[in-house]
Amino acid sequence: MSKIMTVDILSSIKGAQPSEAVNKLFEVIKNANPTNNNSLNNFNNNCVSINNLREDVVIESSAIEKQLIIENFPSKKNGYLVVAKVIED
Amino acid sequence: MESQIKKIHQQLVSKQITCTALVQEKLDLLKQNTYNSVNSLLDSTALDLAAKVDAKIANNEKIGLLEGIPFGIKDVYMVQGTYTTASSDLLKKYKSPYTATAIQKLLDAGAIPLVKENCDSFGHGSSSENTVFGAVKNAVNPELVAGGSSGGSAVNVAKEYTAFSIGGDTGGSIRQPAGYNNIYGLKPTYGKISRYGLMAYASSTDCVGPLAKSIEDIRIVLNVMSGKDVKDQTSYNSKEINENDILKNNVKTVGYFKNFIESEAIDASVKADFLASIEKIKAAGIEVKELDFFKSDILVSTYYTLAMAETASNLSRLDGTNYGDRIEGENLKDTYSITRSKNFSEESKRRIVGGNQVLSQGFSDEIYLKGLELRDHISANFNKDFSEVDVILSPVTPSAPPKIGDSLKDPHAMYLSDAYTVGFSLGQLPTLTVPQGTVTGLQITAAKNNDELVLKFANFLKETI
Repeated sequence: MSKIMTVDILSSIKGAQPSEAVNKLFEVIKNANPTNNNSLNNFNNNCVSINNLREDVVIESSAIEKQLIIENFPSKKNGYLVVAKVIED
Repeated sequence: MESQIKKIHQQLVSKQITCTALVQEKLDLLKQNTYNSVNSLLDSTALDLAAKVDAKIANNEKIGLLEGIPFGIKDVYMVQGTYTTASSDLLKKYKSPYTATAIQKLLDAGAIPLVKENCDSFGHGSSSENTVFGAVKNAVNPELVAGGSSGGSAVNVAKEYTAFSIGGDTGGSIRQPAGYNNIYGLKPTYGKISRYGLMAYASSTDCVGPLAKSIEDIRIVLNVMSGKDVKDQTSYNSKEINENDILKNNVKTVGYFKNFIESEAIDASVKADFLASIEKIKAAGIEVKELDFFKSDILVSTYYTLAMAETASNLSRLDGTNYGDRIEGENLKDTYSITRSKNFSEESKRRIVGGNQVLSQGFSDEIYLKGLELRDHISANFNKDFSEVDVILSPVTPSAPPKIGDSLKDPHAMYLSDAYTVGFSLGQLPTLTVPQGTVTGLQITAAKNNDELVLKFANFLKETI
């Protein structure tokens, strides 16, 4: 894992580069001084109580849902769904 | 109370109009409109549903308040069997396999969906110009932008092509276009309405909400869509808001952020109009307090840092493997990167790349984690404020809507124009835009889960300013 991952690889976008407009936003954060050192209570943690989880059951999709999922698949050949060959590097 | 929904309901029940004629009229208006507010029409389904409503009325069966009411849906919501494009090339031919919970609740109540509405691609924008369906034009002045990202929804409501529309608000995407087109738009408390079936932009601030021409219609639609949904574990059960509960104002203290109004970025007319509204509120016997708040650049940067990080993660699933416009490359990785580079807009790519920058090793501590810390401070600030005031009043934007084309030239300026809306998103607070007070309206904000107070104060403002 010593390889340097550039943003185009991280983003899976050919030729992607960081933008000046966005970097300006990040500079503001780097230079910001949160107002005090009080420990805060993570106000925005939208935690779910373990007593309130949904049931761990498999819900069968409807026939129309399955049909639409297949319809959306980008490539089909002889009744099979076609995906790119997995590569190793 | 004034209500387009109640007016149409009465016309249907009294047989002044048929639902089929009503739906056909609205579909014709949508089809002919030159504002670029439409991505696709749901004409055959809508007319089938209208015929069923007419049959019920002909049989003297009782119909519900929302039965037969035509509405619009921002094109980021799943509605089974309809194209759901997010105004992008990538999903231009994508059909929803299932229906979003909020939309399903409206369908169950009998409302009739007419249109999937134009918006900024994946919610990425504040002008509804970042779309493959053409820039949405402002309902008041078509040379100006409609605002965004729910621009098509705001225009359709303003032009009365729909009785109400359902938008999505991550950093102001309902409130700002509502302000730009002089209508009401509500971002409810985060979690009040299930996000299931809304294409995720930034999950920690994404909210489903209504745009309408009256406070009463906002209340009616909000009640129908609210409630806990097992498919969105951040959703919660909330009490229904009754019409009588919002008639009598009990707000005693109003606050506003001094630095918003003293900022150099605010237009002189917006500032003067806002302060004139404050004077009218004082004259009505309400105490007004000036509040301290974070600087606009901190708010905007905190919001965009977190939103970009979340959107980079949420949109990583869009690689053309299972759905979307796949462009084949030499191998799997090549296919991913060509598909994404050709099919995402420049603005979406800017945000995805920005998100991956702040999440990567070496950057996450000094930017992303610091952004999370700042967000906690912002929320703490709101908690303090709401121990001193009942509601907070703010302008929606620092200036009038820009001309079409101007926002795309300067993305950083576009980000900064969200200065007055993003803070309330970070705080997950209920905030309503009302079409009064300044050229782009006013925002009313209350403490979490106090959406009722926001509507109550809006009714009061309607009579006061």
